[in-house]
Amino acid sequence: MNVDHTDTRATSALDGRAGSLVERLSERFGAQLLHEQATLTGMPVLWVAREALLEVLETLRAAPESFEMLFDLSATDERLREHRAAPPAADFTVFYQLLSVSGNRDIMLKVALDMDDLRLPSAAGLYRNANWYEREVWDMFGIRFEGHPNLYRILMPPTWNGHPLRKDHHARATEFDPYTLTVEGQDQEQQALKFDPEAWGMRRQNENTEFMFLNLGPNHPSAHGAFRIVLQLDGEEIIDCVPDIGYHHRGAEKMGERQSWHSFIPYTDRIDYVGGVMNNLPYVLAVERLAGIEVTERARTVRVMMAELFRITSHLLFLGTYLQDLGAMSPVFYTFTDRQKGYEVIEAITGFRMHPAWFRIGGLMQDLPKGWDRLMQEFVDWMPARLREYERVMMENSLVRDRTKHVAAFDTANALAWGVTGPNLRATGCDFDLRKKRPYSGYENFDFEVPLGHNGDAFDRGQLRIEEMRQSVRIIQQCIDHMPAGDYKADHPLTTPPPRERMLQHIETLITHFLQVSWGPVLPANESLSMVEATKGINGYYLTSDGGTMSYRTRIRTPSFPHLQQMPELMRGGFVPDLIAHLGSIDFVMADVDR
Amino acid sequence: MTYTLTRADDAVAEEARYPLEKRQHVADPMREQVHRSVFTGKLEEVLNSTVNWGRKHSLWPYNFGLSCCYVEMTSAFTAPHDIARFGAEVIRASPRQADFMVIAGTCFVKMAPVIQQLYDQMLEPKWVISMGSCANSGGMYDIYSVVQGVDKFLPVDVYVPGCPPRPEVFLQGLQLLQDSIQEERRPLSWVVGDQGVYRAEMPSQRERNRERRIQATQLRTPDSV
Repeated sequence: MNVDHTDTRATSALDGRAGSLVERLSERFGAQLLHEQATLTGMPVLWVAREALLEVLETLRAAPESFEMLFDLSATDERLREHRAAPPAADFTVFYQLLSVSGNRDIMLKVALDMDDLRLPSAAGLYRNANWYEREVWDMFGIRFEGHPNLYRILMPPTWNGHPLRKDHHARATEFDPYTLTVEGQDQEQQALKFDPEAWGMRRQNENTEFMFLNLGPNHPSAHGAFRIVLQLDGEEIIDCVPDIGYHHRGAEKMGERQSWHSFIPYTDRIDYVGGVMNNLPYVLAVERLAGIEVTERARTVRVMMAELFRITSHLLFLGTYLQDLGAMSPVFYTFTDRQKGYEVIEAITGFRMHPAWFRIGGLMQDLPKGWDRLMQEFVDWMPARLREYERVMMENSLVRDRTKHVAAFDTANALAWGVTGPNLRATGCDFDLRKKRPYSGYENFDFEVPLGHNGDAFDRGQLRIEEMRQSVRIIQQCIDHMPAGDYKADHPLTTPPPRERMLQHIETLITHFLQVSWGPVLPANESLSMVEATKGINGYYLTSDGGTMSYRTRIRTPSFPHLQQMPELMRGGFVPDLIAHLGSIDFVMADVDR
Repeated sequence: MTYTLTRADDAVAEEARYPLEKRQHVADPMREQVHRSVFTGKLEEVLNSTVNWGRKHSLWPYNFGLSCCYVEMTSAFTAPHDIARFGAEVIRASPRQADFMVIAGTCFVKMAPVIQQLYDQMLEPKWVISMGSCANSGGMYDIYSVVQGVDKFLPVDVYVPGCPPRPEVFLQGLQLLQDSIQEERRPLSWVVGDQGVYRAEMPSQRERNRERRIQATQLRTPDSV
């Protein structure tokens, strides 16, 4: 096995434990571990022979400090690459990112595939959440997974032709004939969406009853957007269910391949659309890692402050809708009043409400306005009493408790097997918060606690988020009290857009400014990855640069995707009202599932 | 004021494209009535505006959301913006009980047939507000999975700009819809008069406000709150 060091900044992750892990693997698998790639992802990236893939995955899962979670699985179309440093030759690469919660480390496996032979063994037997990821890879790239139980399209309609994330698939709708819908076409599309129980291995009846198949969604008040779930019912009891997603697929990953590094930022806002600048954070962190930018202390602190403010507004939306799904009409009016107060601060600082796109590569769009601290302090002073009230009125309310206690409960092992992260994982009592475990953007300087649940049920998921809001308020208070002085942008040639004062000094700086604003910055060919503890769980951006002004591949790992996938297992044997309570307690938005 | 006349068609061909109804520009039908007979003309005018007044102040929205815009729409429904001031707070979960549908969010290729189905399930009189850039034109999502504007298959009455529009903008859109409903001419009964639907062609807000808007030269600085 050889390690390449083509990029001097690229650190091979061969430090201590990771190194011994890679060594142990290479001892065991020898030539089947083809190569270790040096990247900026901060984890060992190993190329594995297709034949050995399942065995390597198995070994990693069984190892001490096991890689319990399949964090991400997707692919890259490599056919148009110009600067691929490392062999082996590949038309398509499929990558498996594993996360070890117990060891707090990651590893990425890559498999090279040839255009004529696009198939892989399915890992769904090893990691249960591989099921949907593999369906997504099939849908987006046309790579087959052998042994997969139901390899259907997941994001695109069943009538779609082609695989959108292939480089030869058109990106724009306007490259195509304008959309038309005829009466006949409408009927055909609706027929194609019709649920076929046999295709999912479901029986229509047993010896006692004939099951009812209930179609919940794609438009249902409790489905939180365009989400569909088909229920197999025996009376009120759910025998089985099949979530159907893809009604909110906005092609954000394909969009990343045609926007400049800079102009993709507004698209990140709309991934988890109630998370605002929280979505910018993992993206700009990953780009900064590629560019080698060190951000100033002030910019880092402002980022944390705004991200935490959005965590509060997102959790408030969660709380209102969660309680409304349980049948309580008024809380949503109260939480939206609080949200309005939050938006007043957000708007004063960023100039926008929901999608500020306010973070920049190398810093922020602008400095904090004069008087921000007064506004922010008002909000911070307003919240605690409200949170206490929600707790008293709703979470201590016997109706809410009866509806949510021990409903859709799961334990830590189950959560990890399904790729559940964020508050939903912590509700099971698992202490894994990236802000503590792998502090980024200066979280190590803050004093806050990570609230944990016990039962992992719908109640704990609600209660825990109230507690999280308290901690966010604490963090924001510390930001107000100790906001560092200094620049809001890093002094680096790739900071985009570059500081304006500098452009007016010299023709060279003027040209640089012009090019960066019109074409965008050119980032060195490499790969980087960044994960943050977003509002709904761990959000990760895995960027591949081919040395251009645009990303070659932008992989967006969102937390809500695996959260929905877990649903059938939890709901079997439950009742329909439990499903609604569970749907409310997951806290998902469909853009965060389908991207 | 000129009107758009829409007549329902019973026989629908398989290859017919949505939106189905035939539309044509006509003059205000009421004017003709008035010239025909002063008394019945006046009576119909009074009846019409009374019915329209009732309709526009009790619009029941359909609880339908696609993406980000729906969050701002919900903001408009809750206490700080309070849509009840305009008589439109009775959110219906069934299209059959709703008067208007807000396409709040991106219209996806996979979702379009579903939206059409839901629209068809609504009963006349019904209206459509297209909320946000995605629903208006595709907006920043010129991408394979997004329909470039919901008006590719639905008849839209009001376009609300923004990404997403603020709740206030949505409320203004609702008021514009109310203004247009006041000017509508619909059959008062299935036995009274012409059975077509006459929609007023309302003036464009851009043209109406352009003069005033370009007067603004002093914008507030973002450097202080």
